[in-house]
Amino acid sequence: MTIRHHASNETLAAYAAGTLDLGRRLVVASHLERCAACRGFVRGMEHVAGVMLEDLAPTPMSADALAHTMARIDREPSVRRATAALPASDQSGMPACLRPYEMGRWRWVGPGVEMRPILLPEAEKVRVFLLKAVPGTRLPQHTHEGSELTSILAGSFHHEGGDFFAGDFEEADDDTEHRPVVGQGETCICLVALEGRLKLSGFVGALLNPFVRL
Amino acid sequence: MAMDDKPLVELDFSQMIVAVARHRDRSAFAALFEHFAPRLKAYLVRAGADEAQADELAQEALLTLWRKADTFDPTRATAATWIFTIARNLRTDRFRKQWRDVPAGDDMPDTIDEAASPDETLSDAERGERVRQALRQLPPEQIKVIELSFFEDQPHAEIAQTLGLPLGTVKSRIRIAMTKLRDLVGDLS
Repeated sequence: MTIRHHASNETLAAYAAGTLDLGRRLVVASHLERCAACRGFVRGMEHVAGVMLEDLAPTPMSADALAHTMARIDREPSVRRATAALPASDQSGMPACLRPYEMGRWRWVGPGVEMRPILLPEAEKVRVFLLKAVPGTRLPQHTHEGSELTSILAGSFHHEGGDFFAGDFEEADDDTEHRPVVGQGETCICLVALEGRLKLSGFVGALLNPFVRL
Repeated sequence: MAMDDKPLVELDFSQMIVAVARHRDRSAFAALFEHFAPRLKAYLVRAGADEAQADELAQEALLTLWRKADTFDPTRATAATWIFTIARNLRTDRFRKQWRDVPAGDDMPDTIDEAASPDETLSDAERGERVRQALRQLPPEQIKVIELSFFEDQPHAEIAQTLGLPLGTVKSRIRIAMTKLRDLVGDLS
């Protein structure tokens, strides 16, 4: 499987720096699980951050910081507890990064199209969900408002911007205008982080706009 | 550089983390703390934490190092890189509050835990030097914007103000620097 569409440098750097919101982070993480090239850049930027950390002029810690931390270490159990079993959504075929999160139910959003929300800990301005569309689904053209990250987990879709297959990544913003068609063969499943309300963007906006109010 | 200029025992922080993992070595831990906690604090302050938060989070990061030292792989990351990712994960967790029982930092894949690369025997210093070499190929003004936007998480508008540059210049400078960095550090391991 060749990945042709990657996350942008800025998005990957923000991921490495830890400054992406949770919703976008999950979608990027699902792409990283499959894309060695993007993983390489994220790792490279982590090394850059490591060097910058190393070269930073130190700020003195509070006087009792070390003693305090040593005391906490003394209270640590000698054997590390196994990481608590993670709940709910450990399903085969799903990205590992989704494991800690519960999902809502699949919901019908239009002919041949379903969505399933990933339940985030708190309301964020970016929402994440799985989107499933049967082969051949054609979507009406739409203009965009807000940004959208899409990680293609299975199947494919095509629009003026290119052909997107499993493993690919798409970033759409308010300048993008597309008329996507779901590819033949396999059902298309995407993980999507969508910013803002209504007037939805990109592939997903085109899918959802006629059908649901989000 | 003459070999005998080197100190007899070169401090390698990676080896200290390994000592913490294997022997629960408290003096190695204290040395790691003395070196990294004040740097983490400086980083966290620059990234927007107040003095007290930064102090607390830096302590928390070192405590996490103690707990997770056995997951550190010195063939894949330097101590500084690994410790940065710990602090980064704590920081993002903290910013979105606690939720359920997801252990701190565990939802973010440790991207440095990667398939092994051919060069397995680099020391911390050598690995760091490679990154520094890559960075030296960028002009200083590009390094500066990367430092401010990527590392310190400053908004573009703020950077423009700090550097006295038009916003557009800052944006294009960041874009150009990122493109170069992708080539330079994309396959550093």
